[in-house]
Amino acid sequence: MADILKDSPIKAVQVEALVVMKLVNHAAKTFPTVSTGALVGMESSKQPGLLEITSCFPFPTIDVPTTDSHQQDSAANIAAAAPRAKANVAYQNEMIKFLREVNVDANNVGWYTSASMGNFVNMNTIENQFFYQKEPNERTVALVHDVSRSSQGSLSLRAYRLSPAFITAFKESKFTTESLQKSGLRYQDILVDIPVTVHNSHLLTSLLHQLPSDAPKEELSFPPNLAALQQDPNTPQPPFFPNYDSLDLAIDPFLEKTCDLLLESIENHHTELNNHSYYQRSLAREQTKITAWQQKRKAENAARTASKQPLLPEDEWQRLFKLPQEPSRLETMLNSRQVEQYARQVDQFTAGISTKMFAVKSNLLPGE
Amino acid sequence: MADKDSFLHLARPLGPAPVGAQPSTAPLNVVVQPQAIFSILDHALRRPADQDRVIGTLLGTRSEDGTEVEIRNCYAVPHTETAEQVEVDMDYQKQMLALHLRANPREVLVGWYATSSDLNTFSALIQNFYGQQGDGTWPHPAVHLTVSTNPGEEIESRTYISAPIGVTAERAADSCLFIPVPHELKYGEAEKSGLELISSAKDREDRSQPIITDLEALERAVQHVLDMLERVSNYVNNVLDEDAEPSSALGQFLMNALSLAPKVDAEDIERDFNAHIQDVLVVSYLANTIRTQIDLSNRLATAALTLGTGDALTDNANQRDGDNRQKGGRGGGGGGGAGRGRQQRAQEA
Repeated sequence: MADILKDSPIKAVQVEALVVMKLVNHAAKTFPTVSTGALVGMESSKQPGLLEITSCFPFPTIDVPTTDSHQQDSAANIAAAAPRAKANVAYQNEMIKFLREVNVDANNVGWYTSASMGNFVNMNTIENQFFYQKEPNERTVALVHDVSRSSQGSLSLRAYRLSPAFITAFKESKFTTESLQKSGLRYQDILVDIPVTVHNSHLLTSLLHQLPSDAPKEELSFPPNLAALQQDPNTPQPPFFPNYDSLDLAIDPFLEKTCDLLLESIENHHTELNNHSYYQRSLAREQTKITAWQQKRKAENAARTASKQPLLPEDEWQRLFKLPQEPSRLETMLNSRQVEQYARQVDQFTAGISTKMFAVKSNLLPGE
Repeated sequence: MADKDSFLHLARPLGPAPVGAQPSTAPLNVVVQPQAIFSILDHALRRPADQDRVIGTLLGTRSEDGTEVEIRNCYAVPHTETAEQVEVDMDYQKQMLALHLRANPREVLVGWYATSSDLNTFSALIQNFYGQQGDGTWPHPAVHLTVSTNPGEEIESRTYISAPIGVTAERAADSCLFIPVPHELKYGEAEKSGLELISSAKDREDRSQPIITDLEALERAVQHVLDMLERVSNYVNNVLDEDAEPSSALGQFLMNALSLAPKVDAEDIERDFNAHIQDVLVVSYLANTIRTQIDLSNRLATAALTLGTGDALTDNANQRDGDNRQKGGRGGGGGGGAGRGRQQRAQEA
């Protein structure tokens, strides 16, 4: 991983708090449809390799009346493909032009998307990021915000780039067994995970300190009765940090959903495998035919030499037979990467839930 | 912030209005979402060096009767202000509004903000521009949000609506009466995790915070709860030792809280716990098995298998890894099937 990061022009991503809020809001508003938008910012002047994302804006969505499932799919597709749609490139340029007038860092530095339970490793993500990353001298990342995972505890925000090796392969759209053998590209190498930090401005820090979160330090007089205690303005609200939501015990639905998604991925994997073995079979069939033809032609030629006739060309089979096209392995690779994502997710969930379960057990059964 | 102030709703005086839609005088409540405040603060930092305050447009939603306004979003509008005159880029405002509405069709123009608490003649002028008929918020009143952004001082926010007032007809355009209205800062459920991360950076010197993992968050939350329990038990002990003053209200509250602890049989817990933890661990185990299977299947598919002679016949090798791959796939499918069965059991449990 460290090696891949070394080649990348961006080594870390720093996200302004404003961007986090905008992203979270946008994703929550459109959930479960995917939300996408553009990120603006610049590379840090003090620390090369650090990409500062200072603002963002959502892409316009087309409201398709969702009457049947087919249309719903197409609406989701439009939203997911938005970053590379022509109309949105114009929208983005227009918006950046306007933002420049109010001193916002007016460089496009990528795009963001929302995901649910980590299901973002698909063709759309790859194509969007490729669209941004294919430009020379680009400094772009894909920020992925996982709505479902954020809702059960800590914020899930990740930055990804495509690895240079993958970009080269994707440009030529060569994903055959042979080319993969040559380049040694593995599914783990598709996406490069870039560490993300959240940054607050001075003003924001000042605002955050103003929000009451801690219990008041000075001595308070005792409330006369229970009702007064509950209405006491000095009773602090639960603080933002640490978030007590992460103490919630109900995690099973998440585990269950991830299992469903995992099964779906396995089915996809199976389909791809079937495609591939079909290809293998037809390839073998064609090859037997070709060998048969070649032998026949050889025998014929031998007969012709014996009878001193001109020889027939032996490479005519290239015209006569057509070898089947090998299916692209890209889908399989993406699917594998997705499975890896889910498996890690399950690991994280189980780590959390088993901790909590042991805590609950020892709480309910003291002295064991 | 300003939500501790008390407010008296006064029906604002209304100017002459054309027949038809009548502006309402009903009391107004303003809810501000953190995103808008964050955005205003960001804009305040990016103001031109020679300008004391910057302004922008507020977007949001309005309840049907117009008594609840929710400020969700905002954007900056360039303007120049000198001692004699103020210039707002109207064209910019219009185009930006159009761009924003394309992305957020449900939001409407609700008013404007300024990054200083001062209200002056120019504020009135701009307020009248935002509240006018046509492009403005008319017949609803335009909301004016001021956020003070003086470094080193508390950030104060105020919201106002306005009523027309003027000594003469000529002065009516640049004067108005600002009426303070109550507002509060509200955040949604979804924003909580974001705010958690943002506010976790507030005590750090570099004002930044790497993304925390679920486990870290859990650890901190548990630590925090333990600290609070410690504090409470200290107090209770002190009361028992007659070092601290007892309070019947607090006692009652603690009693109520403690009575929420479920009373369950130890055996039941043991059984449920074991069943559940096994389910969880099996899911984890299967997920990792599947991952390994897929990895294996991928490696076999792309590995250059050279068995037998050095110059491996390509179709022979292909055939071979095709077989292997199928095996891998079947194994993966089997794992998935088991996972499904397990999961159903987990649901029943």
